Amino acid sequence: MAKKPGANAAAPAAFQFRRLAAGGVLVTNDFGGRAFISDRDFLMYSSGRLPASGKAYDALAAGGFVRDRLDFETLAGKWRSRNDSVFYGTGLHIFVLTLRCNHKCAYCQSSVTGERAAGADMPLSVARKSVDLAFQSPRKAITIEFQGGEPLANWDVLREIVKYARTKEKRTGKKLTLAMVSNFSLMDEAKAAFLLENEVSLCTSLDGPESLHNKNRTWSGGNSHRETARWLKYFNSRHDSQHDLKYRVFRPGALLTVSRLTLGHAREVVDEYAARGLEEIFLRPLAPIGYAKKRWQEIGYSPEEFLEFYEKALRYILLKNRRGVKIREKFAQMLLTKILKSEDSGYLDMRCPCGAAIGQLAYNYNGDVYTCDEARMVGWSGDDIFKAGTVGDKYEDIIAAAATKTVCAASSLESQPFCHRCAYKPYCGVCPVVNYEAQNSLWGQMPSNHRCGTLKGLFDLLFGLLRDGDSRAVLETWVNAGAKR
Amino acid sequence: MKKEFRVDTALYSEEALGLAANVAGAGAAPGKRGKVSIEAEDPEAAFREFMNEALSQQCRIDLVKRNFKASQLILTNALVSALGRKNDAGGGK
Repeated sequence: MAKKPGANAAAPAAFQFRRLAAGGVLVTNDFGGRAFISDRDFLMYSSGRLPASGKAYDALAAGGFVRDRLDFETLAGKWRSRNDSVFYGTGLHIFVLTLRCNHKCAYCQSSVTGERAAGADMPLSVARKSVDLAFQSPRKAITIEFQGGEPLANWDVLREIVKYARTKEKRTGKKLTLAMVSNFSLMDEAKAAFLLENEVSLCTSLDGPESLHNKNRTWSGGNSHRETARWLKYFNSRHDSQHDLKYRVFRPGALLTVSRLTLGHAREVVDEYAARGLEEIFLRPLAPIGYAKKRWQEIGYSPEEFLEFYEKALRYILLKNRRGVKIREKFAQMLLTKILKSEDSGYLDMRCPCGAAIGQLAYNYNGDVYTCDEARMVGWSGDDIFKAGTVGDKYEDIIAAAATKTVCAASSLESQPFCHRCAYKPYCGVCPVVNYEAQNSLWGQMPSNHRCGTLKGLFDLLFGLLRDGDSRAVLETWVNAGAKR
Repeated sequence: MKKEFRVDTALYSEEALGLAANVAGAGAAPGKRGKVSIEAEDPEAAFREFMNEALSQQCRIDLVKRNFKASQLILTNALVSALGRKNDAGGGK
């Protein structure tokens, strides 16, 4: 039984803790405070017997762990800064312009249909209503992201809606960012020119070197990797040579989806990204949602398998950085932004409550509106539990919808057994959609939750690396680079 | 195979048992006074799974009660801010 705190001892404030594999204990609190202390100091601290002086005491007092040394104003400011985006309304609006796609990817989560499927495109009238709905968000800066399927397959609507949105931007005074995720296979010079002139930032999928990419991303019309690489080079060159233009050209981005095929190729995928001049690589684990859920036995993996791959890749990226190659891993960057800077990294899946509806909305090709893109994929399989309305509704109705309130409540870590006592709670978030798909419950069960296992492993790795001076120095440069989603 | 089990109602609320049955699917049916009927190939194993979920749900229900104020404050602020209405936390980026 713990003794009562002595007069010269540090009385513990609220904290969570985790024993680290390398020894010692990580102590965190809801304000984002963190301290590494020895096992002995932790025993003393948690039982209220840690002397009110010394290195461990100073570290704990500075982090907001000592009851009579709490500076509530500063701590509240830190909490606020780390959870900033929760309080500004829906910023990301994902438009699924079509379900059609010419690729047949091994893991495709976008719920696509074939290239020639009828009735799978977003009509212009629905696209306009979608823009009108997005602009009803109270947020002063919004992003509209075009996705699919392959959004270029519905080019006429894409072109018109870019013009319509830009006109609306001028009329309303909101700051509008336009983005498109495309496989580039339907890109041509005229389309590229239009997209650049309208400042649409471009992102593609690059799953590694040619053989790996083409195995993951099958395209009967040609060599997917070659087209992706060609257009990456084109847009990179346009970015580097922009002078005296009336518009900004953004550097193209790329996303990597880790399938089972990727696991043995950690170094190769990093080398591929570096060779293509990409300064960022996002090692995204596969989520067992929609189509990927159906093929999980073939393409999925355990959290341990992913973490082994991730650690190899991350350590290799750190090595490359020390050798002067400029490349960051995005997952680590986003988590470290919360850990080291106490700022919201803009990563919607790692908020409390999660970013569903209050941070992002997904507008399906047929006008249905879902709380997030993953929720739309669940809708594709015939379950509309996460449908918040349609593009004909008012924005207020979407936010007041039962689906919105449900995902908000279900993603509150204050109500999650295990999460509310987890040392990584200040930096983490749960996804009710993934829980629902994987464990048949909005809340899931964290001890056997695939996503939780992966995230815990990532945090363990990152906190381990932060104790190593060389790694920490590189990781801090990534955080300061601070690119937000 | 169908088998009936008994659950301690002093530990598990009706709500927790109902939610666990919903997660478990059609095979589990909580009845009155802590009776739970399980229909599965291996009812013992299915019951263990059911109780695992019931425990998780009960812990969550208890936690919701304990953290109600903090949780509701954050959720209400998030939803009200998303509507663009003024709230104590400020807003309108």
